[in-house]
Amino acid sequence: MSRPQDEPLLPSAVEVPFSEMETALARWGFRPARPDAPRALTATVVAIGPRHRLSDAADALQQIGGQTGVRAILISCGTDHEPSVRISGTSVALEGLEPGYMNNAVAALRLSSLPTLVWWRGGDLATLDAVATLADRLVLDADDPVPGWRRAAALAEQTAISDLRWTRLTRWRALMAHFFDIPEVQAVAGTFGRLEVRGGDHHVLRLFAGWLASSLQSKAAMSIDLTTTPGPAPIERVRLADGTRELVLSLAPSGTCVQTAARVEGHAGASRTVSLGEQGLAALISEELRIRSRDLAFERALAALKGVA
Amino acid sequence: MAAILRPAQDRSGHSRGANPLEDGLRIEPTPGATTLVIFGASGDLTRRKLLPALHHLSRGERLPARFSVVGVARTPLGDEGFRQQLRDSLREFAGVEGEDEVGASLGARMYYLHGELDDPALYQRLRQRLDEIDGADGVLFYLAIPPSVYATVIEQIGAAGLSALASESGWRRIIIEKPFGTDLATARELNQLVHRHFDEAHVFRIDHYLGKETVQNLLVFRFANGMFEPIWNRRYIDHVQITAAETVGVERRAAYYEGAGALRDMVQNHLMQVVALVAMEPPTAFTAESVRDRKLDAILSIQPLAADGRSDGVVRAQYGTGWVGGHEVPGYREEPGVARQSQTETFAAMRLQLDSWRWAGVPFYLRTGKRLPKRTTEIAIQFKRPPLEVFKRVSPSPVASNLLIVNVQPDEGISVRFDAKLPGSRMQIAPVMMNFRYGTAFGGGVPEAYETLLIDAMLGDPTLFARHDVVEASWALITPVHDGWRAAPGELPIYEAGEWGPKEADALLAQDGRRWRTL
Repeated sequence: MSRPQDEPLLPSAVEVPFSEMETALARWGFRPARPDAPRALTATVVAIGPRHRLSDAADALQQIGGQTGVRAILISCGTDHEPSVRISGTSVALEGLEPGYMNNAVAALRLSSLPTLVWWRGGDLATLDAVATLADRLVLDADDPVPGWRRAAALAEQTAISDLRWTRLTRWRALMAHFFDIPEVQAVAGTFGRLEVRGGDHHVLRLFAGWLASSLQSKAAMSIDLTTTPGPAPIERVRLADGTRELVLSLAPSGTCVQTAARVEGHAGASRTVSLGEQGLAALISEELRIRSRDLAFERALAALKGVA
Repeated sequence: MAAILRPAQDRSGHSRGANPLEDGLRIEPTPGATTLVIFGASGDLTRRKLLPALHHLSRGERLPARFSVVGVARTPLGDEGFRQQLRDSLREFAGVEGEDEVGASLGARMYYLHGELDDPALYQRLRQRLDEIDGADGVLFYLAIPPSVYATVIEQIGAAGLSALASESGWRRIIIEKPFGTDLATARELNQLVHRHFDEAHVFRIDHYLGKETVQNLLVFRFANGMFEPIWNRRYIDHVQITAAETVGVERRAAYYEGAGALRDMVQNHLMQVVALVAMEPPTAFTAESVRDRKLDAILSIQPLAADGRSDGVVRAQYGTGWVGGHEVPGYREEPGVARQSQTETFAAMRLQLDSWRWAGVPFYLRTGKRLPKRTTEIAIQFKRPPLEVFKRVSPSPVASNLLIVNVQPDEGISVRFDAKLPGSRMQIAPVMMNFRYGTAFGGGVPEAYETLLIDAMLGDPTLFARHDVVEASWALITPVHDGWRAAPGELPIYEAGEWGPKEADALLAQDGRRWRTL
């Protein structure tokens, strides 16, 4: 859903002065979208990024806030040390905040004693370093992920990190992993020599390839072929092959399911269609909210990117 | 259970195969290759619960890459008929309309055999079909059939060699629906028969109550939070009430229910399992055996309900005509298939006393019945009043006892009732509720109990299933009560449909100066 850029982030929210935002929140309390639905206060989600990347984040967090106990804090970066604050039932928006004030604002607004997830939608990397210290989990989601990924090792020393592109790969990774539950596939796990990945987001393709290469630890060098397509789906097809063996995942024509097919030693099996699950921003962030621990597989996949063009 | 970064072990502690890709996978564990053989594949349970559960598991990517279903039943359906039954079932019970890719993919791996369950040839055909299926290393038999044919099917499975492993990496397991036996003697017989063909570790006696999130959460609530367990004892708890109420009558189950009754249909299994979870001591670890050992201890600590043929702390009754949900409903004896002079109880209530250091002197009151005013299952922990009534002179309203309510169904969650001061200059006290609801707290859906239990059985995790000794301990309590009723039927109280049971149930608590919670 696209909204006019001159529209405030939370159009139906109430505007309060920056200096009074804590008082306003305390006075109004936590007002879920459906007051009849009791909910556990599970986390604070802080979405930070350029203004144009926060509208859809605001929509997603409003949706999550309507279903769970998440307080959303939306902060667009700017030069104002006392920007206007808009408060709705479950969300707070600060537009144009000077990065130096970021920590102070988040510390005041986060829910006490509950996890804080920072959703990084891009911006100055110095700010990224600063907000990482506030986060129990940092989810990268910039248009260009490479600068953030380069800092990942250092960020991982401070907090658990992930990337929304990685979250989009969860189902694909799980389906590939299911092939390796088959003993015949497991027996030859380290021998697959060719990987082809095709889809609309080159970074997603690299991440998948990095993960597979780092996990399989192939005995021989794996030939990796990444093909970026104009289609909307970040990833459309994966083929892992070697000689007579072939494991294939393909996005079904509907775009909502993945078809799997395995051929091992000329023996076809494990062909099925499974749901891709919800892939909207709200679903992906909800998935990240359920993860509490460090994601070493993601960190290994990033480390393996050096060998993936 | 929330998605976790997947460890290389399942919940039962069994090491899984060396899958190089599963490390750190953000999904719940999936079983190895499995073929599910459903006996009673054309029946109600399969249509209403099992097929929707399999579809939902398939959507959620919980089923293994190599998964098949073989349906076995007397109805002549054929493979295509079974697949059509899947489509019908999904439309009727899972709200799946139109083309469904996941359903079609699942259906393509569903097969059907029809025949008489006592015919050895049927089992030879089953064996042949399993040999043809890719991925039949692991076979899970599901007895979704009337209890009267459990023994026949188990014997035939054994005689056909189907319980024996075809390969070293394979496994054979069996899920048996409740009721497991009709009394202590038959439960023992059935256990002995099952153990002739299956090791206890491969026997999964299913009680769908134990698959409910709230029931599982009882363990987390008690043993993952430091604040509740210290007060979970006779020093702070006055009594416990467990209610399992249904608004429906006997419906189409008269043939079964006439021989069972509320005591054996509900108390022996569901309610005893819930009592065990509330009363058990902390397990040393969350492993199947540790949890089930502690549950067994709890059930063994319950004082016998009947001595010398008398059971003073047990009430039974049967529903008469009345009104439920705005409709006039017939009495039990007027229901189709029910004997006009039936002595089957549709309501049971009882007081349990536990001989344990933790629970000595704390009664557990249980009640269950059909045609009650509301469909609800809950556990209510009633705490003792504060030792001193500080507000007695200044507050006109009495202080209510604290109450912790675990809602098992229909709205799974936990509530705490405590007293708060009403706003204003006067000191007035009113009870308020603090609520936690699964349906809204975490977002997303709560898995159906059958989904949880099917996956656990495929994974070989028996934590949420009843062990043979727990089942027998439960029957050992219930059987003398039932025998006593049969030996001296006496007058069976009748309660009006739509009421909370007979007055005798109220008297049971009134004797102790208590009353049932108003639900």
